[in-house]
Amino acid sequence: MKLKFMICMVALFFIVACGNNDRSTSSNEEVLDKDWDEIVKTTEGSKVNLFMWGGDEGINQYIDDWATPHLKEKYGITLKRQPMNTEEFMQKLLTEKKANKRNGTIDVIWINGANFKNAKQADLLFGSFSKKLPHFQNYIGTDNQIALFDQGTKIDGLEAPWGNVQYVFYYNSTHVDHPPSTLEELKQWIHDHPGKFTYPNVSDFTGNTFVKHLLVKGVGEKSALMAEEYSKEVIQSGEEYVWSYLEEIKPDLWREGETYPESLTKLDTLYNQGEVWMTMGFNEARAESLIENGTFPKSTKSFILKDPGSISNTHYLSIPFNSPNPEGAMTVINFLESPEAQIAKMDPAMWGEGTVLNFNKLDKADQEQIKNLNRGDSVLSTELLSNNQLPDLDTGYTEWINNEWAKRIFEQ
Amino acid sequence: MNGQNGFLNNKKRVVFNLLPALAATLLLVGYGMWSAIAQSFQSVDGEWTMASYLELFNSLAFFHSLKLTFRVAILSTLLALVIGLVMTRMLYQFFRDSSSKVLVWIPILIPHFVAGYLVYLFFSQSGLFSSLFYQLGVLDHRAEFPVLVQEKFGIGMILTYVWKEVPFVILMLLPVYYEIDHRYSEVVRTLGGNKWDVFRSVELPWLLPVMVETGLILIAFIASAFEIPYLLGVTRPEMLSVRAYEWFYDGDWSKRPLAFSAMILPGVMALLLAIFCIGAVQKHRLRMIKGRNR
Amino acid sequence: MRFVFNRLGKRELVTSLMVLIFIGLFILPFVVVTVKSFSVGWRFPELLPQAYSLNGWRNIFGDPSLKESIVTTLKVGFYVVLLNLLLSLPAAKVLSTYSFKGKSMIETFLLSPILIPGILLAMGLQFTMIQFGLADQVSGVVLVHLIPTLPYAIRIMRAGYERLGIALGEQASVLGAGPFIRFFTLSLPLLLPSIRSLMLLTFVISLGQYALTAIIGGGNVITLPLLYYPYFSSSNEAVVAGFSILFALLPLLFIGGVEILLRLVIRAVNRV
Repeated sequence: MKLKFMICMVALFFIVACGNNDRSTSSNEEVLDKDWDEIVKTTEGSKVNLFMWGGDEGINQYIDDWATPHLKEKYGITLKRQPMNTEEFMQKLLTEKKANKRNGTIDVIWINGANFKNAKQADLLFGSFSKKLPHFQNYIGTDNQIALFDQGTKIDGLEAPWGNVQYVFYYNSTHVDHPPSTLEELKQWIHDHPGKFTYPNVSDFTGNTFVKHLLVKGVGEKSALMAEEYSKEVIQSGEEYVWSYLEEIKPDLWREGETYPESLTKLDTLYNQGEVWMTMGFNEARAESLIENGTFPKSTKSFILKDPGSISNTHYLSIPFNSPNPEGAMTVINFLESPEAQIAKMDPAMWGEGTVLNFNKLDKADQEQIKNLNRGDSVLSTELLSNNQLPDLDTGYTEWINNEWAKRIFEQ
Repeated sequence: MNGQNGFLNNKKRVVFNLLPALAATLLLVGYGMWSAIAQSFQSVDGEWTMASYLELFNSLAFFHSLKLTFRVAILSTLLALVIGLVMTRMLYQFFRDSSSKVLVWIPILIPHFVAGYLVYLFFSQSGLFSSLFYQLGVLDHRAEFPVLVQEKFGIGMILTYVWKEVPFVILMLLPVYYEIDHRYSEVVRTLGGNKWDVFRSVELPWLLPVMVETGLILIAFIASAFEIPYLLGVTRPEMLSVRAYEWFYDGDWSKRPLAFSAMILPGVMALLLAIFCIGAVQKHRLRMIKGRNR
Repeated sequence: MRFVFNRLGKRELVTSLMVLIFIGLFILPFVVVTVKSFSVGWRFPELLPQAYSLNGWRNIFGDPSLKESIVTTLKVGFYVVLLNLLLSLPAAKVLSTYSFKGKSMIETFLLSPILIPGILLAMGLQFTMIQFGLADQVSGVVLVHLIPTLPYAIRIMRAGYERLGIALGEQASVLGAGPFIRFFTLSLPLLLPSIRSLMLLTFVISLGQYALTAIIGGGNVITLPLLYYPYFSSSNEAVVAGFSILFALLPLLFIGGVEILLRLVIRAVNRV
């Protein structure tokens, strides 16, 4: 009986191991040499796996209820959204690269910044594909700043822009009459309302970007350089301001700065409960859906700091090196960059975030549609946002803040 | 008849029966651990180095984390064991009936992070207890409610673990209580012993091996679990698992060896502790089994 | 009512008090989660939500992968339970009956999967699993789910066998019963409570695995936690609460199904 059992176990292993026979795929260069029409033609009836972070109902809804049916109808492609944290699918790709697994399971990934830098360095991406996409060529263009650099890393066509968001602060207008409009005013406000403000731990991207605003202010005029490269000298000119500002506000923060919310979600919860009166974050329109589902109070409004401005952030779609269906992936990404898909994405009922398309390149009808779009009462005007827009900084600054923050704030 | 050729037979039987389980464990733990250790000694470029361990031992923050991790793990385990033991002693008659046993199972079904969320829901400064006291007029303001979650000692975490693990302890101890021959308790009482004597001389010998084992499982689990500290801990000092997670998923991949080594250390400590404790208890258990099957 | 109280002695009173405390501590919070899943913006200092809605649940049941993920979760859980039974029954029997050199080392070793952080093992195993073609497959996920479950399975069955005692088995073998019949007519019914606990516990553990499933399943094997975890970072608390309830209900459904099956099997065996 035991022998039989052992045989069964061994057999089980074999069955499983044999089930994974490799399909042959054309090499990456061959795919990139193909004609666009040919690419689109071959993808009909195929399946595309989109791996993306899945923690926002609005974003998921946009993919599941809008993009997926439209793709099916237009191209006959079945888009499958797989919810997974960015770090986890990056780790998966890295290990697959090491194990030399040529036939993967991921077709499209949603990445930017440090993750893109890592992926590029470890050679985890498919190749320079963005210039093949008609919508990218028509509405964004290869010389566009967001198509050249992703937080200081040269893009080289390895990823295509998907969305553009700006960093704004949210406040409860029943408690706050006049929101601050500069960093100095914010400091004064925090001092006048002890315990009613905090920012997320800098290991969270939102918390990290809050500190980046201080760095930009501290560096002053030279801050324009920071989008393109990491430099120690630039930091030296600005770090004094960063740490003294954070030290000064610390005693007046929520829980006297003894602890910080681990993530933006936790800060949102504190805001929701009324423990703090302000929250923040990327995507100037993100409060709309939260107000609608009752998470944020109805009196939520937003503001930006005109001094130093509001950092913007672009996120991208890319194709991994071992995508089983790169043609399908390109078709999907091209579709998601269409004016139609980008305008639908701006609808506050679903996602509500900004477009990456160049407004001037769009045709009249699309321009009208964007102008007439009501993004909601909590969203600031497009002029105000774009006049105060700052580019995102090189990922080197993100790491610097990550490494220094805890030392300066907790371990002097 | 069993006695003469029994020895060889038994040996074969032992090996055959244990082999599948041992092979599965060896495959999973052996391979996984070996590969993890290798990665902790390798830099991103594949060079062999001790750097990650040296960096850990040279960092004061690491020792603060270690201290907090030990404190939370040990305190939660001890409290859960003691409370679980008391509850089992008082309730084992009631739980004898299998339909009421469902009651013990229900808290086990709740995942850990839900438990953490519950504690947050009830005990945070904006929580339900705070609301209750406010409504009763005991508090004028929520800031007067004591800070129980997200504070430096780890009260919130300990509370969650105790709440979540007490039913587990009860579940582990219940079968033992049904096994104990309670006639011995009568004997002790007739001889003039009090409740404590009954517990010490009759129940404890049966309970000890299971309590040690349960304690080991709990300590090891609490020292490496991530969800609850992430939800209820403070920024600094943080539990080791949170620190390791941050390193794992940091944008900077050069910190991955650090993450591996920060997790290997508690794992190895738990293993050593287990070898020591189980060895000690084994002798005790052997004596008992021999006594019973006489 | 008075009749009941008169009949209760001091001991019974203490027991019922403890039962009440137990229920209050461990069962009532669950009711709060249920209320929470129907609430809208329940804030300090409200003791009860001001408004209710089905939005949280609508979100949960609206996810297009939900059905698929429940099926996958049950499938993974079923295989994990089965594999655990197959591996733990023989091992537990030996450990409960025989004493031999190095036993405590073997015991520690068998316990080691739950003493070492699971994520560490998963990260270490990922590479191997990819090479063997087990990654991204249900089979690979089932295998890594043995890490947090097998030690408990062996432990539970071992306790079951110890209670059974050796004497019982010897008696039957003297009476001329083969090992197979002996197992089904004697051991199985007596081991049933342990088997039941084993199934429930291993299923619950398997159901709760996020990191192991994500790392080895690679997003291809979508179980409930994979759907649920991302939502946990959503600030919509009704969704979080609703999923928590779903989580607790699934093992109850599973064990209900298995219970019926077990009774049928035993009845059939007894008839033969």
